[in-house]
Amino acid sequence: MQAEPKTILNFLATHFDALVFLFEKQNNEGSIHLRTFREFEEEFGHIEQQLFSYKILRKIGEDAEFSGEIYNLFQFVLKEFKPMLPETIEKYNSSISNLFRLIRDGINGDKLILAKRIDELYSEAFSFVESVEKNTLRLLAETRELKSNVTKIDYKQKVEKASFWIDYYIQPLNNILDISHAQSIVNKLLDISNFINIKRLNFHDETIRKQFEKLYFFLIQSNHDLLYQSKILTNELLPLIERIRTESLILTGWIEFLKIPNKVEVPKLLKVLRDNPYSDEMYYHAKDFVMQFQNIEDIIISEELVETDMWIFNKEKYKEDLLNKMPVNDFFEWAIESLNKEYKMAETEKLFSLTSLLFEDDFDKEFDPMNKHVFIQTTQLKLKVPKIKIYKHGIS
Amino acid sequence: MEYPKQHKDIVSDLMAGKFLLRNDFNFDILKQNKDFYTSFFKESFNYGLQLESEFAYLISFETKEQLSRDICILIALLSYELDKDGKNFMDQLSYALFEYDQIDKYFEGSSYQELIKSNKQLKDVESRRMFYRTLSNRNIIEKEGENQFRFTSAIKVFIDFAVDFAQGKLEQATVSIDEDTSSIDE
Repeated sequence: MQAEPKTILNFLATHFDALVFLFEKQNNEGSIHLRTFREFEEEFGHIEQQLFSYKILRKIGEDAEFSGEIYNLFQFVLKEFKPMLPETIEKYNSSISNLFRLIRDGINGDKLILAKRIDELYSEAFSFVESVEKNTLRLLAETRELKSNVTKIDYKQKVEKASFWIDYYIQPLNNILDISHAQSIVNKLLDISNFINIKRLNFHDETIRKQFEKLYFFLIQSNHDLLYQSKILTNELLPLIERIRTESLILTGWIEFLKIPNKVEVPKLLKVLRDNPYSDEMYYHAKDFVMQFQNIEDIIISEELVETDMWIFNKEKYKEDLLNKMPVNDFFEWAIESLNKEYKMAETEKLFSLTSLLFEDDFDKEFDPMNKHVFIQTTQLKLKVPKIKIYKHGIS
Repeated sequence: MEYPKQHKDIVSDLMAGKFLLRNDFNFDILKQNKDFYTSFFKESFNYGLQLESEFAYLISFETKEQLSRDICILIALLSYELDKDGKNFMDQLSYALFEYDQIDKYFEGSSYQELIKSNKQLKDVESRRMFYRTLSNRNIIEKEGENQFRFTSAIKVFIDFAVDFAQGKLEQATVSIDEDTSSIDE
């Protein structure tokens, strides 16, 4: 039985909360499972039967779905539009272009079909503008939700979501609305409105002229609305979502970095290794360096007295020994033998003392330069010495 | 040969590891003589001059540079804690005045205690005060009174690092997801 329109409207108003619950269910899960009604009845009462008899819902297997018109109504009143993929919106490009071509080419043809085509063009343009508005509203809501992050999704997901909205919805929608892009639908609508503007003034049939006029003013208004939508996209949505993407990226970067802070190559800075001549601290550091060597306390170094056997050269004794040996063929041989006999080993110092006997006036010396030098060994040195003969002075 | 004006100051500041900021008069002189200073630092000390729109600084090609790592850890922890506190961390890092006590509280309540305690510059209140002095000397922060500071534009070096790192990581994640998918396909 067909219900009265007022009955349906009253039903919708009375059970609005229940219908919103079902609407959300469908949006989140894709459809409403029939078992939902069991949970649902406790809270919202037995309305399942009316939902189907008023054709608010329709059954699809084990699930139910809102009928198209009611779904659209709820989208409209709740301002919760399902985002349309821009490629879906793009379909208007070809439908509007086709209709316009048919109107332009058949401008002198049958009036009835021309009137019908103008009406169709009007409704296609209307649907197009509405789709863009719905999408912009939805995208704005999504973006703000992403920004406030009430669902506490993690940063990686947030970046992915922001990138997803930008790449698949916002940027392509912006291209559709971009007036500087020759192939954009907005530009097409502008071309159409120029053509319609002429026809609304000079078309010979008044009814058609009025239709053209209605379409023209609608297109002018649409152009204005689309520009507004485009501004929201470029001025608000894109920067907002771009910022979400950037901020989230930064935080993602930091969180990832904090997992392995010592294993990551960080930005290079200057490693200040030394003072340079321009440094203000150079003077003080240099002064510190020098001062460490300036010892202001007197240092007294006391040398330990070491008892040593002092050897005193007894010249007279050795002179007498030498005189007793006269004549001596080799002075240094005699000196070494004397010292070795007395001290086991001749010390250099003692040998040099004995050498002073050579300068005594009591002895005559003879030295043959042709003779080879001989080596003698002291405790410290091996000395190369000449062979010197010694005679007693005055006696041959 | 005639050197640019303020040559000594420019060289002293940069060689002390300072960031030369745009609001410094010497920054303009450096910018006007970019080629000269680039080759001057390269030829004299083998240092690289990094001249950005907001600041300039020198880099050495020393790989074990601990200061930069400590700064990254400080900013990373601060960003994380500010965000956790419900604040817009980028706005805060860009414009806000930080009180030492506020940062102390964040660090004391942080879940990154192990990392904080193992870092010589950040481990306790005293170390952090010393660290702020170093950062201030290098113009990475600007002190306000006894207990406050704000970051200078030099922070961009580290923020850019975080973005690059995240992109590298995300790319890695994407690659591994792709690899997983392709292995399923096979």
